[in-house]
Amino acid sequence: MLRVATDVGGTFTDLVYFEIDEKSGKALSIKTAKSDTTPSSYEKGVFDAIEKGNVDIAKSTFFAHGTTVVINSITERKGVLTGLITTKGFRDSLEIARGDRPDFFNLRYQKPKPFVPRYLRAEVPGRIDFLGKELNPLDLSGLDDVIEKFKKHNVQSIAVCLIHGYANSMHEQKVIDYIKSKWADVDIVASHQITREWREYERTNTTALCAYIKPIARSYLDKLNDKLITSNFSGNPYVMQSNGGIDTFESTKTIPLTMIESGPTSGVLGAAELGKLIKENNLITLDVGGTTAKCSLIENGNVKINTNYWIEKNRQSAGYPVMLPVVDIVEIGNGGGSIAWVDNYDKLHVGPQSAGADPGPVSYGKGGNSITTTDANLITNRINQNYFCGGEIKADMDAVSKTIEPLSKKLKFTNAETARGIIRIANNNMINALKLVSVNKGYDPRDFSLVAFGGGGGMHATSLAKELNIPKVIIPVNSSVFSAWGMLMSDLRRDYILTKLTTMNDQAIDILNKTFIEMEKQAEESYKKENISKELISFKRFGSFRYLGQDHSVEIPITNSKFDEASIKKIIEDFHTQYEKEFTYKLENQVDMIQFHLVAFAEIEKPELQERKVTNIKVEDAVKETREIDFDEMGVHKSNIYNFDLLEPGMEFAGPAIVEDPSTTVVIFPNQKCKVDKFANLHISIEGGK
Amino acid sequence: MSSIKHDPITTEIIQSSLQAACDEMFVAMRKTAMSSIIYEVLDFGTAVTDSNGNIAASGAGIPAFIAMCDKAVQAVIKKYDSNQIKEGDVFATNDPYNGGVTHLNDVIVVMPVFSKGERIAWTANIAHWPDLGGMAPGGISADAKEIFQEGLQLPVIKMIENGNPIQSVIDIITANSRVPQYTLGDMWAAIASIRVGEKRIKDIANKYGTEIFKNSVQQFMDYGERTSLDALSSLPHGTYHGEDLLDDGRKIQVDVTINDKEFIVDLRNNPEQDDGPNNASYDGTVVSAQMAFKGITSSDFICNAGTFRPLKVLCDEGSMFNPVRPAAQGIYYETDIRSYDLIWKTISHLNPNKSSAGSFASICGTFMGGQHPDTGATFIIIEPQVGGWGASSVGDGCSANFSAFHGDTFNTPAEISEARHGVYVDQMRLTDEDGGEGKFRGGKGIVMDYRVRSKNAWVSVAYTRSKSLPWALDGGNEGGSNYIEVIRKNGDLEKYSVVTGLTLEPEDVVRIHTGNGGGCGKPELRDKSMIEEDLLNEYITLEQAKKFYKYN
Repeated sequence: MLRVATDVGGTFTDLVYFEIDEKSGKALSIKTAKSDTTPSSYEKGVFDAIEKGNVDIAKSTFFAHGTTVVINSITERKGVLTGLITTKGFRDSLEIARGDRPDFFNLRYQKPKPFVPRYLRAEVPGRIDFLGKELNPLDLSGLDDVIEKFKKHNVQSIAVCLIHGYANSMHEQKVIDYIKSKWADVDIVASHQITREWREYERTNTTALCAYIKPIARSYLDKLNDKLITSNFSGNPYVMQSNGGIDTFESTKTIPLTMIESGPTSGVLGAAELGKLIKENNLITLDVGGTTAKCSLIENGNVKINTNYWIEKNRQSAGYPVMLPVVDIVEIGNGGGSIAWVDNYDKLHVGPQSAGADPGPVSYGKGGNSITTTDANLITNRINQNYFCGGEIKADMDAVSKTIEPLSKKLKFTNAETARGIIRIANNNMINALKLVSVNKGYDPRDFSLVAFGGGGGMHATSLAKELNIPKVIIPVNSSVFSAWGMLMSDLRRDYILTKLTTMNDQAIDILNKTFIEMEKQAEESYKKENISKELISFKRFGSFRYLGQDHSVEIPITNSKFDEASIKKIIEDFHTQYEKEFTYKLENQVDMIQFHLVAFAEIEKPELQERKVTNIKVEDAVKETREIDFDEMGVHKSNIYNFDLLEPGMEFAGPAIVEDPSTTVVIFPNQKCKVDKFANLHISIEGGK
Repeated sequence: MSSIKHDPITTEIIQSSLQAACDEMFVAMRKTAMSSIIYEVLDFGTAVTDSNGNIAASGAGIPAFIAMCDKAVQAVIKKYDSNQIKEGDVFATNDPYNGGVTHLNDVIVVMPVFSKGERIAWTANIAHWPDLGGMAPGGISADAKEIFQEGLQLPVIKMIENGNPIQSVIDIITANSRVPQYTLGDMWAAIASIRVGEKRIKDIANKYGTEIFKNSVQQFMDYGERTSLDALSSLPHGTYHGEDLLDDGRKIQVDVTINDKEFIVDLRNNPEQDDGPNNASYDGTVVSAQMAFKGITSSDFICNAGTFRPLKVLCDEGSMFNPVRPAAQGIYYETDIRSYDLIWKTISHLNPNKSSAGSFASICGTFMGGQHPDTGATFIIIEPQVGGWGASSVGDGCSANFSAFHGDTFNTPAEISEARHGVYVDQMRLTDEDGGEGKFRGGKGIVMDYRVRSKNAWVSVAYTRSKSLPWALDGGNEGGSNYIEVIRKNGDLEKYSVVTGLTLEPEDVVRIHTGNGGGCGKPELRDKSMIEEDLLNEYITLEQAKKFYKYN
């Protein structure tokens, strides 16, 4: 029996699978395969990897899939021509947006262009108020003309987002029903199907984006599913979602935008699952790939979810909001392939440009002519020059020396000093990203462990932890395919969010009782449609609260299944406490509940992980060689190089040291100690911090 | 750690840490402030200066607050002997005549940073506190004649000594606020923010050593200066004269002189100070000049004392750009944006890569209040408005953005406005009005309706660029006008650009209009395909296409 996960990345498509022992239900072994990503039809790359890994998909009971199809369609503007229907008076919501301009001194600032041009944005009369009451009846008399216009312009997909549609979906539903009755084969999506949160620009943009990619994502999932069926796959296929769970193909196809951060989230989820196994509840995650580094924070085992998520937002652009529950991730252009450069004022920078996989770093010898972080790590000898990419590539150190020379000359450095400088600047960039998810959100890094994975995680994590006073670094075994591993450990997860302004007094009792039950029913029904049995479903309830008149709210977990006077009082107290923790004060003011949030999990059977065998070899036997390693300010030291594959539970050793496997390098500084746990994950304690 | 060499990498990391410290101070303030104008509108800024009060790095939600806090630090150094400035002290000023820069609502708090007994830096925070007394709630009144009517003045005072609050000072502040709980909350948030900064700067200095720290800060400023000088050398040198009209018909004018070493903004010979609150302090005028200087030289985010070393600003004492006590300054922002826009108008064409036509260029501060019809609670809307930006030689201007003084400022969604304020927002759309036509046209202003639901509501506005319109470039058309209409329930229509406390009744509509930005290039040169695209998108009517673009 097999459990398979595939993760389509920008360059490679990863495959990870467990062989499960049918008697014990334990995972026997974990195997991996890699193939090139095939952008013209991603499903081809997936099946290439399946073939390369010799996986008999017919024996698989579980198939989870992470894909960049949605985010790529958006980034490359390859969605379909989309029309929008909105409330009279609000046609320009998409274009007015929020009026912000992050590029402070640019007087030629241009807003990001709306995904629906103005001529395809139509209005309908009719109005709902913020309590969900109908103020003016919906008038559909103009819709025939709109449909005709959309058809004339070859619109393929329609978004419907009406003012206060979150509070009452009746008007949106009528618009959809009408259009479907007149135009059966057009793709259509309404805002209330995606989110029931207020803020019209964010909701409209989210709905428009969803419509924009819907036909493409739907047909992709259909093709992949067809291929699975012809390969005699008989289990259920799942797609990784942005909220840190997986979901069925069927459910995903109705709102495919939920796949937008399908790739990056699985690593965070993996870290949370790993945390459960090794009893580490507070984690900061760091995923260093070829072009970017991604950070997130896990508190008390909970992955942080955010519905205030923006794409393409940076100091030059306001970006686009996506009002969906997305794992809170900070991503910066700083990976192994990031290019080092010196500006006109002799200042050294690293990234955000990347050499990518082709030509890649200079050391690849594929014609790369820009020094990258990976090249710098080779110069310091932290990466093994003789075992580069697991020995697959001979590191072209001559080319590296030649290419770094001009930088060194400008900086008046030796090449070794330049290499150290590049690593320090790259580290500094990552430290700033790690601060954004921790210090800047009020978390003290000293209360967390740093889980690092991806190709470059282990190379930088110990330096970063030292700088941020993080006491411990954890490097998971198989850290380079950790994201795909995360998918194999996931449950089904659906988030339901509803804005409903509720004053927390006696009247709230009924509203809370009714609303949560209604939301649970909705979730149960949606699972039931896909034959997922009720016993597997579990719920988590949350509420967002704020003081009257304020905007920023605090989400707190709600454990009650039924509400009475006492439980409402308790919730208010919990809110005061949590608010004070986050904002340092509390108020006497009236407390309002803004938002209901229900997470509906459906449990999936997961294998129990096999511990690594203890053969009683000595730790010295895991040393493959010694090398002179440059530890920058800590000096150059002759260091033991450990073979990751030979490390066994209970082993301990101290830095200076390197741990290597074909795809990972872990740098352990002098004064740092490393312990191997029962699954062969590394736990590195960081002495004293700064 | 003594083994760390003083090298460019360390310098780079220290410089980036200064920015990180400002950002952290910014976040601390945003998280702990109690007033929505701070945590939502981001009407605040943070800064680190060197020991002499030269700005090293700053964090701000709006560009206008980027380089403000240094003036307060310098005022403290001027007033107090160094033995009166001790570790743990906190000073405050809101006095625009004395380091406070803007108006009395903006309070700057600063504290010195010591390392090994030596003062090596200052951390500072400026924020709009909700109420410090004055004749009108919130401090700002278009009717104010003297600064005494605008609230409590804090003339570079010490409020915390050696870490211990001076209770009498805090009592005075508390007693003078209509909303003491909020004022105190914001005050402590500001203090928490500069304390976070103090700790971070100390950490950096302790880690790398005081000398290396100080050196890196100075080098950072030198770097700022070098980038500015390089930009100046690529601008055409000379003296440039510019003029503009205020809405009341008075002329304002400037001479900008650019040479290799200097950028001199001569704002002498301008109207005398205003009887009302439409004055901006000299320091405020300097900030306007700094923003225009930054706009023409470099769009990066490095703004330190070195960046502005080449800049000199001249103003007559007693003018609207440099008033003398006791002139009121509550609406300083409309005066600052006038001087800023005048300077930009004068120099914009000098850098073909950055030039742009005039924009709607008003904060369009809109104040509305009343009782929420559903809850009975008092509501107050305080918001700037979005409008059209000027076109450039490479494209149309940006539609519906906040003024150049704003940055990370977000408008209020209609759905939230309706719930929070108990009004109806019947429309929020791009305007159809004329203005800003050109080879490239100005961005569009907006039309937004607030329909009142409650009795005894009121509205106040003080918009500029209502009669004197956004300027054009290269033969384009001037932009449109900023104003409000009040449409009474019976259909009567009133029009204002400045009004205070106008009474509103249920079903009255306040319709906000903001102007299009100015155009660039003659309209008849506009590409036909662009005109047709505008027609398809209904950005212009066929009538407008014929009238302005000679389209047929």
